[in-house]
Amino acid sequence: MAIGKASPKVGKVVDIPANAPTIGTATAGVGSASVAFTADSASVGGPVFSYTVLSNPGSFTTTGTASPLTVSGLTAGTAYTFTVAGVNPTGSSPYSAASNSATILASAFESIATVTAAGGETSLTFSSIAATYKHLQIRGLYRDTTTTSPQAAPLYLRCNTDGATFYASHNLNGVNSAVTAAGSATQSWMQVPYAGVGAWNTAGMYGVSIIDILDYSSTTKYKTIRSFVGSDTNAATTGAGVSLSSGLWMNTAACNQVIIFAGNTAFAAGSTFALYGIKG
Amino acid sequence: MTAGATYEKIATTTLGSAASSITFSSIAASWTDLRLVLGNLVVASGTPSLQLQFNGDTAANYSNTYLAGSGTAAVSGSGTGQAQINSSFALNATTPIAIFVDAFSYSGATYKTVLINEAGDLNGSGYVTARVGLWRSTAAITSITIKNSLAVNYNTGTTATLYGIKAA
Repeated sequence: MAIGKASPKVGKVVDIPANAPTIGTATAGVGSASVAFTADSASVGGPVFSYTVLSNPGSFTTTGTASPLTVSGLTAGTAYTFTVAGVNPTGSSPYSAASNSATILASAFESIATVTAAGGETSLTFSSIAATYKHLQIRGLYRDTTTTSPQAAPLYLRCNTDGATFYASHNLNGVNSAVTAAGSATQSWMQVPYAGVGAWNTAGMYGVSIIDILDYSSTTKYKTIRSFVGSDTNAATTGAGVSLSSGLWMNTAACNQVIIFAGNTAFAAGSTFALYGIKG
Repeated sequence: MTAGATYEKIATTTLGSAASSITFSSIAASWTDLRLVLGNLVVASGTPSLQLQFNGDTAANYSNTYLAGSGTAAVSGSGTGQAQINSSFALNATTPIAIFVDAFSYSGATYKTVLINEAGDLNGSGYVTARVGLWRSTAAITSITIKNSLAVNYNTGTTATLYGIKAA
């Protein structure tokens, strides 16, 4: 039997980029868009190992290995289309046809403004609040300048400059291992107890608060306010408290200004409150 | 005033298999506050309570004060000098508990204070709580670990989502 010599053929590698993927649906998100596509099934030029999605306008890109891919950094309210290209060992494919147009969504929860105490202010104010939203939320860090009070400090809230006795509140509190409840009517502000830490506590400790003002720009309803606040100082008997409160401003005017008063003395430096708008 | 978009999802973890802890790590200092939402929180066995730790700190740097309603009574209490923020209320193996955690100025130079709202209704028993917690550290929070007091597993499907809230 003759034994022949093997003579393998060596194929030439042809540098052929992949075909363009087929664009799918672009779906708008908050500040981003998800772009679907279908890979070319022919695998011309070798397997595709990544895809790049390109926005128009802006030329924002993202790269990944499979559909869908999310492009971030997009501007709310702007309409974008997207194209996608595949990359195989020989290079990038042509870009696909453009996707449908997707208008990027704005968040339903937006930052409006922040006020920060330098130290010594008895009140901090958010003014000229536009009626752009449905509700407001205030998120705060609060430390006051009280050096003698052994308990957590309250906040007081006022809408606009209304200092008349048009406010009421009720609260449920956990403080020093006791449950307390209290209410008040015909007040000149809404009281939010246990929201802050006094200066007699360790530096760096602050109380925190989440305060919601509902339907703040209504001109037909009184305004309902609710808060969830707390101060903890690693002490079982003093300085700590957590509180849930409801409040009412008995006025049908839009609340376009919120004044936050330090309940005891004044705001310590670093106390800060951020105002957010929540869309309806 | 000008408004800017905020409130972004940072990450979601859904347990594909049971695990005794969930950790969000490498949290960027890109936001002002964090919000952690724990849904479908069910444990494999026992009735442990939730525990939170930051940056892996296991020293006695945590404390909390709480207000709770159990359906028949309102109670308040506190814990000081603890190795984690402890919930004093039980998770269980059948009914999901919902927990919301707000961490304020998490990358700031202050000590870190959180507000926690727990809601668990077991059709005849249950509780709702409002809790303030303190981590006595000025370090930026870069990781959050969700554990429990018995180190039992959280069930498959347990979901934790971390959001960032950015102030103007």
